[in-house]
Parts: sequence; C-alpha cells; structure tokens
Amino acid sequence: MTRNGTNQIHIEDLTVSRGGRPVLEKLNLSVRRGRFVSIEGHSGVGKSSLLSCLAGLLKPSSGAITYHCRKGGAHTPSQFQERLGLVFQHLRLTANATAEVNVLCGLLGTRPGWRTLFGFPSSDRSQANRLLAELGLECLASKPVSQLSGGERQRVAVARALISEPECLLADEPVSNLDPTTARSVLGLLKSECTRNGCTVFCALHDRALAEEFADFTLRLNAGHWELSGGGAC
Amino acid sequence: MAFLLLLLAVLFSLPVIAPSGRTLDYAANLTRFLSRFWPPDFSILAQILPSLWETFQMAVLATTAAALLSIPVAAAASKTTAPTPVVALMRFLLNAIRAIPGLVWALLTVAVLGANPGAGVLALSIYSIGYLGKFFSDAFESADPGVSEALRATGADRLQAFQYGIWPHARPIVWSHILWMLEYNIRSAAIIGYVGAGGIGSWLHTYQEFYQWNKFAAVLTCILAAVIILDFAGSRIRRELAPTAQ
Repeated sequence: MTRNGTNQIHIEDLTVSRGGRPVLEKLNLSVRRGRFVSIEGHSGVGKSSLLSCLAGLLKPSSGAITYHCRKGGAHTPSQFQERLGLVFQHLRLTANATAEVNVLCGLLGTRPGWRTLFGFPSSDRSQANRLLAELGLECLASKPVSQLSGGERQRVAVARALISEPECLLADEPVSNLDPTTARSVLGLLKSECTRNGCTVFCALHDRALAEEFADFTLRLNAGHWELSGGGAC
Repeated sequence: MAFLLLLLAVLFSLPVIAPSGRTLDYAANLTRFLSRFWPPDFSILAQILPSLWETFQMAVLATTAAALLSIPVAAAASKTTAPTPVVALMRFLLNAIRAIPGLVWALLTVAVLGANPGAGVLALSIYSIGYLGKFFSDAFESADPGVSEALRATGADRLQAFQYGIWPHARPIVWSHILWMLEYNIRSAAIIGYVGAGGIGSWLHTYQEFYQWNKFAAVLTCILAAVIILDFAGSRIRRELAPTAQ
C-alpha cells in the first residue's frame, strides 16, 4: 500500500507530566502516514512517557492525540489500540512461552477470544515464523523466550509488534541490545513497513547516526521542550 | 527484626507446654506404647490394600475436582485479574474454608451424604479449594503484570491476556501445588475414614478401637509406603513440568 499523504496522527498542545513536573509541554505535531519519526533525548527526558501517551497507556496532563485510520474516522489512542504495534522498553514478553507464541500474541487484539482459546491457526503460525526468519530468529521459534539472549528477545518483541501489520508502530529503544549490523537490519525492516505498508513509526533511539540514517525527521526532547529536525516534511 | 519478633513469640508461647506437675516417666511410657506396634502384623494386607487403593482414588478425584474449580476461583481472588471488591470477598471465603479443619469438613459431609467415600471426596475437595484457590491466586499475582498489560494495550481481551500473559508463568507453579495437594490429600484421605468418610482410615479406627496396635502399625506402614512412592513420583513429574515452551 502506498502512502496517501494524509495526516495519520495529530497531536495538539500535548503536555505530559510525571511526578508533578512537566516532561513535555505543548507539543503540536501532525505526522503523515508512512513517516518514520525518531524521538531523541537523554534518559528520563520523557521519551517513554510520550510513547505511552501515543499508545493510550498514559493520560496526558492536557492536549489531545487523534489517529486517522485508513478506513477513515478519527480515534483516540485507546480506540486505536488494535491498529497499534508496540515495542516496550522492557519488552514485556511472556518468559515461559516460545518465541513463536510471543510473536503470535501480537495478533490477539485482532482475533476474538474464542478463536485463540486453543491456539492459533497454521496461517498465523506461518506468518509468525516468516517474521522471525526475517529477523534472523528462524531457528529459535520453538525456544522459550527465557532462554534467549537480550538481543534475541528484543527482536522477538519487534516481530510481535509487526505481525498484525499495524497502521502505527510505537517502539521504545527497539535496538538498544543489538549490534550495529543487526540494529540496521531491524530498523531497515521498520523502515520498509513505512514505505511498503504505509505504517507510521515512532521510535525512541539513543544512536543519533541510526536516527539520521532511517528517520524522516527527529523529535528532540529536552527538559519539557521539544524541537523538530530533519530533511523530510512531517 | 523478624528474628527478634520470632524469638519474642516463642518466649511468650513456651508456657503452653508446661508439664502437668505429675511425675511421669516419659521414656518408659513411650517405650511401652511403641512396643505394642512392633512388629507390624501384615497378615491383614489383603484386607487393607483395597482400602489403600480407595484412599488413592478419593485423593485423585478430590484433587482433580478442586484443581479445576480453583482456577476460576483463584482468578477471582487475584488482584491482577479481578476487581478489588471481588478479590476481598473471594479471599474471605477461601480463608473461611481453610479455617475449618479437613476432619470437620468430613464430619459435615458424612452428616449430609452418609458414611461413604463420596462424602470423603466432597470433604477433601472443599478443603482443597481453600488451599489451591489461595496458592493459585498467589501464582497469578506473581506473574509480571506488565506482560498482560502489554497484551491489553494492543487490544487483547481479559481472557486472552490471562491465557497468554499470566497462565504461562503460573502453569508450572499451579502443577507443583496440585501435586503437593495430591500428596496432602492422600494423607488426609487416610485419616478421614475415622469419621466414616471412606478410605483406609476406617481400618485405623477399627484397630484402634480394639487395641490391635500391631495391625494399626501395619496400616500406618502401608500409608507411609504410599506417601513415599507418591513423593518420588511427584519429584519426577515436577522435573518434567519445569518451565518449558508451549
């Protein structure tokens, strides 16, 4: 699916506070479908808080976030959850489940409860294994996540976020445990989701070089203030 | 601090074991009593082995019924899966069930169903729910809540978040508790026969009534053997059920 150029996410006067102090003040941003936005800032500046607000997991102090889905209509983040893919900073994988099952969990929001009560159909399992292969984890599909390395677990978390072909992907430091080559491979996969499927990506990254290589533009946070930089238009 | 509190509790509790004031030769009493048990009279084996098997069957049925019923009960008693008022109510009910000893539950069920193994199964089931419900809810609460929250954040419903976020963590703990409960119920099933609730305990009662202590000892030896075998089997099963992939 090609980008249609319309704004997918509209952020208006967003203020986020933590512990009584604002970590982000009056963010105004409109992001077109299929953009890759990197979020930069030192530890504790509010990157995870912003992503949590975008995911509907944290209520902002003021302001609004509106998603416009492909089928039309405006949605709040909590109404848009089934179309989101999330990569958490602490991964939040099911330790005793296999890599394959963890990836399949990314489909739970798109399947009614009774359909997943006795597992997933073979078509879903094939899709999960295909994604794991793209991320170099094909041999680890049947291993419990507790037996994987930090980098392998991180890639499983990315696969879980991608399997539902989300309209928007929110990734909190998805490559922090990966070597440079693997990190580029994973970010390349996320970038291809933008260009191929029109997925909008918000990605917190520490590495400025990676941000410049893959992001269309960068949102820098610093002590409650924000600024945009980058060559591409929002 | 905890050690000091324990020491204080022990010091305050010691008076409860004050001697009667009578001069008794405890060693002689023990020797005389134990001598009646030796040697155990295994001539009754053909009579008691069917009862031992009945005891095992009662324990298996009671544990299975309790395990199945305890899962939804535990979900309702767990802060990570149920609202606070429901959790408070369920925990109160589980505490109330556990407060009544198993033998008293057996007395109640015998009064309702009559003196038969079915009464024993019901008594053990109810008692086991009190324990397994608590153990299972603790297992559910020990799971990382962030995992089920992560699944809910992408649209999974409560059942899916439980099945794929909490259950994989809780499953080996649940199985371990079920095995423990089975071992416990075999010991309990051996005793509740005293009040007519079936199993090998009825033989213990009979031989005790007629002061046939060597036959009593034979029954105890059979129970001990059964518990040892089950303990060994349980260890093997626990090793097999250690956290694995789905």
